[in-house]
Amino acid sequence: MRIFDPHIHMTSRTTDDYEAMRDAGVRALVEPAFWLGQPRTNVGSFVDYFDSLLGWERFRAAQFGIAHHCALALNPKEANDPRCAEVLDVLPRYLAKDGVVAVGEVGYDSMTPEEDDAFARQLELALRYDLPVLVHTPHRDKQEGTKRTLDVVRESGLAPHRVLVDHLNETTVAMVADAGCWMGFSVYPDTKMDEARMVALLAEYGTERMLVNSAADWGRSDPLKTRKTGLAMLDAGFAESEVDSVLWRNPVEFYGQSGRLALEPVAAGAVDVATGSSVLRGER
Amino acid sequence: MTFHLGYGTNGFANHRLDDALAVIADLGYTAVALTLDHHHLDPFADDVVKQTERVAARLQELGLRVVVETGARYLLDPCRKHHPTLVSEGQAVRVDFLVRAKQIALDLGADCVSFWSGVGSADAWDHLKSGVAAVLESGPSVPIGLEPEPGMVVERLDQALRLRTELGNPDLLRITLDVGHCVAVEPQDAAACIRQAGELLVNVQLDDMLPDVHEHLEFGEGQLDLPATLAALTGIGYTGVAAVELPRHSHAAPDVAARALRALRAAEWLADAERAVRADPGVIDTLFPAAGRAVGAGQDAARVRLLTAFADVSDDPVDGFTRLYRYGTSAERRGVLRGLAEMGDRAPAAGIALVEDALRSNETGLVAAALGPFATRHLGRHAWRHGVLKCLFMGIPLAVVDGLDRHSDAELLRMVAAFADERRAAGRPVPADALALLGKAS
Repeated sequence: MRIFDPHIHMTSRTTDDYEAMRDAGVRALVEPAFWLGQPRTNVGSFVDYFDSLLGWERFRAAQFGIAHHCALALNPKEANDPRCAEVLDVLPRYLAKDGVVAVGEVGYDSMTPEEDDAFARQLELALRYDLPVLVHTPHRDKQEGTKRTLDVVRESGLAPHRVLVDHLNETTVAMVADAGCWMGFSVYPDTKMDEARMVALLAEYGTERMLVNSAADWGRSDPLKTRKTGLAMLDAGFAESEVDSVLWRNPVEFYGQSGRLALEPVAAGAVDVATGSSVLRGER
Repeated sequence: MTFHLGYGTNGFANHRLDDALAVIADLGYTAVALTLDHHHLDPFADDVVKQTERVAARLQELGLRVVVETGARYLLDPCRKHHPTLVSEGQAVRVDFLVRAKQIALDLGADCVSFWSGVGSADAWDHLKSGVAAVLESGPSVPIGLEPEPGMVVERLDQALRLRTELGNPDLLRITLDVGHCVAVEPQDAAACIRQAGELLVNVQLDDMLPDVHEHLEFGEGQLDLPATLAALTGIGYTGVAAVELPRHSHAAPDVAARALRALRAAEWLADAERAVRADPGVIDTLFPAAGRAVGAGQDAARVRLLTAFADVSDDPVDGFTRLYRYGTSAERRGVLRGLAEMGDRAPAAGIALVEDALRSNETGLVAAALGPFATRHLGRHAWRHGVLKCLFMGIPLAVVDGLDRHSDAELLRMVAAFADERRAAGRPVPADALALLGKAS
């Protein structure tokens, strides 16, 4: 089973996770920029975070044979803090980088005017930098938030197939399916979706435009939920090719719209003299 | 780009002509240099008119512009390669062939017929002139491009231009230039040759080569400055065909042709990017990041070229370098660090700050790039020694360290010896590079 986790926050995970993910079949992932649990208080904190997603975390993932990409954005929660909102002026410089395959996570947290503004501005940036968009849907008042999200996307002029709306569930999937956007589901140990409910939705809606992620971060979460969902699909009678669609081909097709996916397996072994790229463990 | 990138069918000698044309077009080339040969549109075939008509239709279908090449090896004489020539006995056979080629070029809608002089002594000059005059006088009015060819009577551009002058500058006598030949035998680089040929240029062959060695190489294997060469073609407003000339790579033609086109596109991007930076240094902010996906494997060298262009025109190159590093991905930072070797001496303090930042990181690529010639010249000895030791810790080959042999000192050797002791005490192997360094000193 080859797996592309389209949404996972590796910054918060250990090398044990990387090893387990590689063993489970994860060969590529996208790490979207989000909040860190501890609120940020200034733009510099974002800049270091973006650098990390483009530098150190990519390097770390490569050591385990996993192709690391990222999505960059000002997240909706911190869009409400005027000390952080200015990161939108720095963001364009980063959206031009290799390894950036989407704008994200954008969307709503509490549906404030500040969030409206940051969301709209970043959809404009996605158009200008020709990048797809990863949209977070809110934890609270999710149905209303998802509805409003789709309205904003429609008004932005972005084609629906350039947008992935994430953290969906039984109550929000239909409107996203109708809108023509890609549908993302986060499978968690005890919140969001679980494997059995996910399989039921796949049986009902089919595998087209459907993506499954672990969204693993600093909270209670499991980076192997992608594989566990794949196994549950097989148990439920889905064909291997359908599992491959959901766990590999769909994320490749969605993020491939950026033109910046680099999925070749990383060469294992020694350090290349010319580039110094390595799959060694750093200090030994 | 004002001209058409093509590929020479003499590099597809093991393909049927139709198949070769299809592969070349499918790869994305928009032109072809068609070498007439016994198996590729034989000019001596009974039905050559009909064949030509069919090939013309095929070229049109595939959207390929065409030039006609006449360098087939055993078309005229099955025993003697390239024989007869315009400078040998039997010149009339060669003239007849070239006139047939002109008719085929006309029927194909080709830009020109390309030809060379032949191997001979310098006193064959007048014989050559009469042969070229005969080709010009016979057959249809089609431009012919004289190609300087290493080892032949006309082997350099200035000789081709002199021959043209002596013939009275006939309008239909133009120049074909193989840019690899320029590396091999010209006193100036290919870009300068292109500018010298100027509007007389009717056909261009693209390949790499080493000085004094007439061997057609894939791009990157010789010393041709491909971006500068393509920039020169754009600079003179060349609108014709520039086709890859790799006649000894037929055994792997489709792969070689694909690689060549990738190299050409990367070089084309780089040439455009350098031009853009020289016109407006501010655009380096977006071009520097994009070099990775545009150029691929050669991105470090490409970024150094962009930095060179930037440093030439920017009011404050040091500030620019620092900013590109500060906001750069790991690959971009590597590019800045490599650029310090050539440009860091202008402001050593700023360069040292970047090197020290890179050496604080735990990324092998950054640490390796930090220890280039700039660090050798400017970094404090203590920091430099720690950089070398860090390489050993991280498994980075010491081959990346500039000037290691010259700058190793007793203190570095003491540190490396202590490192080796520590490894042994832990029951771990000592890196071969560490042993080698200690071995040289003992």
